Amino acid sequence: MTTPSKLHSLIRNLFRRARVEQDLDDEVRSYAGLLADQRIEQGLSPEEARRRALIDLGGVEQVKERVREVRMGTRLETLWQDLRYGARMLRKNPGFSAAAALTLALGIGANAAIFTLTYAVILKSLPVPNPGQLVRYTFRETGASDLSISGPAYDSLRKHETVNQDLLAWSNDDLAVDENGTVTRASGALMSGNGFRVLELRPYLGRVFGEADDVTGGGPNGYQALLGYDYWKRHFGQNPNIAGRALNINGRAVTLIGVLPERFDGLIAGFPTDIVLPLSFEEVMHAPHPQRHAPGNFWLTVMGRLKRGESLKSARADLRATDAVVREEADPSHTFLRGFFAPFKFGVESGRSGRSFLKVDYARPLIVLEILVVLLLLLCCANAALLMLARTTGRFREFAVRSALGAQRGRLFRQVLAEVGLLAACGLALGVWMGWAAARSLVAMLADVAGPPPALDVGPRFAILAFAAGVTVLSALAAGLWPALRASRAAPALDLKRSEALSPSRRLGNWIVPVQVAISVTLLAAASLLGGALVHLLLEHSGFRSDGLVMADVDLSAAKPTGKQAALDARQMLEAVENAPGVQAAALLQAPPLHNGWSAGHYFSVGPHGAVHSDMQTWPETVSPDYFATMGTQVLEGRGFANSDRSGSSVCILSASAAMNFFPKEEPVGRFVYSGGADPSKDGTDLDPRGACRVIGIAEDVRFQSLRQAPPRMLYSLAAGDDGGDFFTVAVRSASPGLGAGALRNAARQVVPLAPAPAIYTFRELVNAHLQQERMLTALSACFAAIALLLTALGLYGLLARSVLLRTREIGLRLALGAPRRDALLLVIRQGMRLVLIGAAIGLAIALILTHVLRSLLFGLHATDPVTLAGVVALLVIVALLASYIPARRATRLNPTEALRCE
Amino acid sequence: MNPESTELLQGTLDLLILKSLALGSLHGLGISRRIEQITHGTFVVKPGSLFPALHRMEEQGWLEAEWGASETNRRAKYYRLTRAGQKQLGSETERWSRIAGAIGRALEASG
Repeated sequence: MTTPSKLHSLIRNLFRRARVEQDLDDEVRSYAGLLADQRIEQGLSPEEARRRALIDLGGVEQVKERVREVRMGTRLETLWQDLRYGARMLRKNPGFSAAAALTLALGIGANAAIFTLTYAVILKSLPVPNPGQLVRYTFRETGASDLSISGPAYDSLRKHETVNQDLLAWSNDDLAVDENGTVTRASGALMSGNGFRVLELRPYLGRVFGEADDVTGGGPNGYQALLGYDYWKRHFGQNPNIAGRALNINGRAVTLIGVLPERFDGLIAGFPTDIVLPLSFEEVMHAPHPQRHAPGNFWLTVMGRLKRGESLKSARADLRATDAVVREEADPSHTFLRGFFAPFKFGVESGRSGRSFLKVDYARPLIVLEILVVLLLLLCCANAALLMLARTTGRFREFAVRSALGAQRGRLFRQVLAEVGLLAACGLALGVWMGWAAARSLVAMLADVAGPPPALDVGPRFAILAFAAGVTVLSALAAGLWPALRASRAAPALDLKRSEALSPSRRLGNWIVPVQVAISVTLLAAASLLGGALVHLLLEHSGFRSDGLVMADVDLSAAKPTGKQAALDARQMLEAVENAPGVQAAALLQAPPLHNGWSAGHYFSVGPHGAVHSDMQTWPETVSPDYFATMGTQVLEGRGFANSDRSGSSVCILSASAAMNFFPKEEPVGRFVYSGGADPSKDGTDLDPRGACRVIGIAEDVRFQSLRQAPPRMLYSLAAGDDGGDFFTVAVRSASPGLGAGALRNAARQVVPLAPAPAIYTFRELVNAHLQQERMLTALSACFAAIALLLTALGLYGLLARSVLLRTREIGLRLALGAPRRDALLLVIRQGMRLVLIGAAIGLAIALILTHVLRSLLFGLHATDPVTLAGVVALLVIVALLASYIPARRATRLNPTEALRCE
Repeated sequence: MNPESTELLQGTLDLLILKSLALGSLHGLGISRRIEQITHGTFVVKPGSLFPALHRMEEQGWLEAEWGASETNRRAKYYRLTRAGQKQLGSETERWSRIAGAIGRALEASG
């Protein structure tokens, strides 16, 4: 049982230092005394005896030192000493310390910021037991965001799949909570009765609802709900007695039965959960058109927990086997799953982080940013290493002297590392803070147009701090290892005598700068690649004229208007804005462009010989007569709509690709296109005139769905006068956006004062929000590249400045021997350029590899052309020349006599 | 002092120190002399090796130390075995004889 004894010794050694030392001293001297006594017995004189004793002992200090080495707590003590010494050294040189710490903080902070985002968007698991077992079923068209799943499809999947313990269904929606007459909005979620069981989610307070409660009417006790933790805190003051309280939600009395755990915030990232209700509550919310069993409404997020022994692979295989059955059962009429949505496929993926619309859009851009930010960190470490190196070579005499006095190599090594460690620790603290602040602004960049930024949790979390700490340790090693090795190898005889100019550390500096240049070239190339993609998308012809175009999305659903009322409201709003001052044109749209939506209608045409061209993927858009003038879409043939055209389906305008699809060999204008309605069996052989519309014009193709994808085939028709939808968009073209926005706001206040204020935005803002990923990538990569250039310039400047200093004698000699001053200038510049060109060459190679990687991750990137690369290198050369300027001038200004004298 | 000195391994030194204290407590120099005596001059332990070993073994709990007076009336630190130390001596002795026996047999074996 030596551990308690060891612990006791450790404590004694650390805290009773003085006594222990005194004791040791006494003991060693006593030993010497005893040896002397022995000698005296043998007949020597006392002085001679003492002298001999000391020789036999081997030196009091040396013996004591050897005891100290094996003592418990030595390592801690030396570490503490090293840290104190390091702190003192750093304080003596505040400029250097600040520079090094800031450089490291920059690299660490940038990494912490990007990782925070990556964690929140991609990595964070749902706060439930075993999130790795969760899967999510998707319904997606390749390349586009995934659609949700319809009620019948959910039921069918649940019935036929075999790999899950069970499947749950979830949907987020807004709830109207009536508290004593005031109606407030709450973020609600509907979950199937088995949800709590599948998630293995236990409440923080109270109890949960189950399958018996997920029926129409809410089960034996009516509808029951749980509150989200945050909502409970904000709205109910964390009152522990909420169980049994009644709430009026969407006009129905609901009983509260519990509170969700603090960290659980729903299954869909960015959509907070204030109140959770059973799925059957949707009949209250969506009355009079319940969606639970509608085959054409895609609104559910479906997740399951795999059985033991099952994996994602087996789930996919299982899905493949049941796909046909599900499609059949979920939509027997074949209108949707086999009709309009034929290009969409069922799939299953990991549900560990739940569902995230952000993830779909930003997962790959975030990976790209991670790569770039790691490169930036390497650059920062290189800068810090250069600084450390400059410092330690300045102190190598100190190290040489200490080495001569008996300091061991390991000690010197550890001590330099301790200094670097202190710097890195400062860098960590500063970097985490910077990273946190940066992450918040980055999240703001992810906001949707006119919407609030997504509710991402970017507070300090253990995972992020652990990551930052890990990064710091690696950076400290990268920056400090070589300087520490160099310090420990200080050979006393050599280093005390020789000139610094020949020190090997100068050679090391000679290849750190090329590394920095290489990284800068890589980051610049990446930035130009990403920026090029953005520019390309912006310049592409979208089919809309953006200047002066303002739009408003109106939502009448809260008032539950009839079709007639809704259509009247829309027409009145249009009239109101048309008459507003400064408005040049205005129009109504059924669905606004670039909103990541999807729409499809079944149409067909009949050719001259009876051949039928049928298409279930034509995008129908109902508009008002002035649509084309307002949006700036050109009409290529025929004419646009006129006020005199009767509303309804009697006339229509096709987009160029739709026209080509329906009438490949004939003139489309004047021909008829038939609407198949929702019945795919109609093939047009009956030529029902009620479903026919005459083509009066052809409009240019527009990228209505997404700027990144090909234009969809579109069919424009005029809005029916007596059947409008709850949602519509009003577009206004005016001399200035302010006028347009004002007109829209006033019209909304005037015509539909009870509806929530519509989201108003300019077309430019819409495009920006649509291209937010590319904009974020461009902005951040450009930022990183700029920082990289700055750091490289600083590194080069520092190196050349020191080089001039070290080679003062050499330059002085040359000048004294008659070389023109310009030679000194060229000497310095040549040194710098050599490093830059080597670095540029390496950088170009890395850039080409990185380009390849980026292109495999992101769509829409074009191959890096030689012109861009040449431009990048040219930029670097210019920056390098600027950095070399001051040291070079200093070289020319040297006075030869003084230079020769200095050392 | 016997000119024949051999390098000692740490474990061997520990065993010798334990053995030398088996009969009673000794101060540092006394331990050194006793070791020289019981090994018939084969092992001469320098203070540079002895002191670290003594302190290490004390921290491990095998030895106890106490200040006392030497034969020459000089203040000296006396070491003695603890119960744990005695146990350690026993097990180390047994281990050493096993190893020595095995090596001996190995060397005697022909071929």
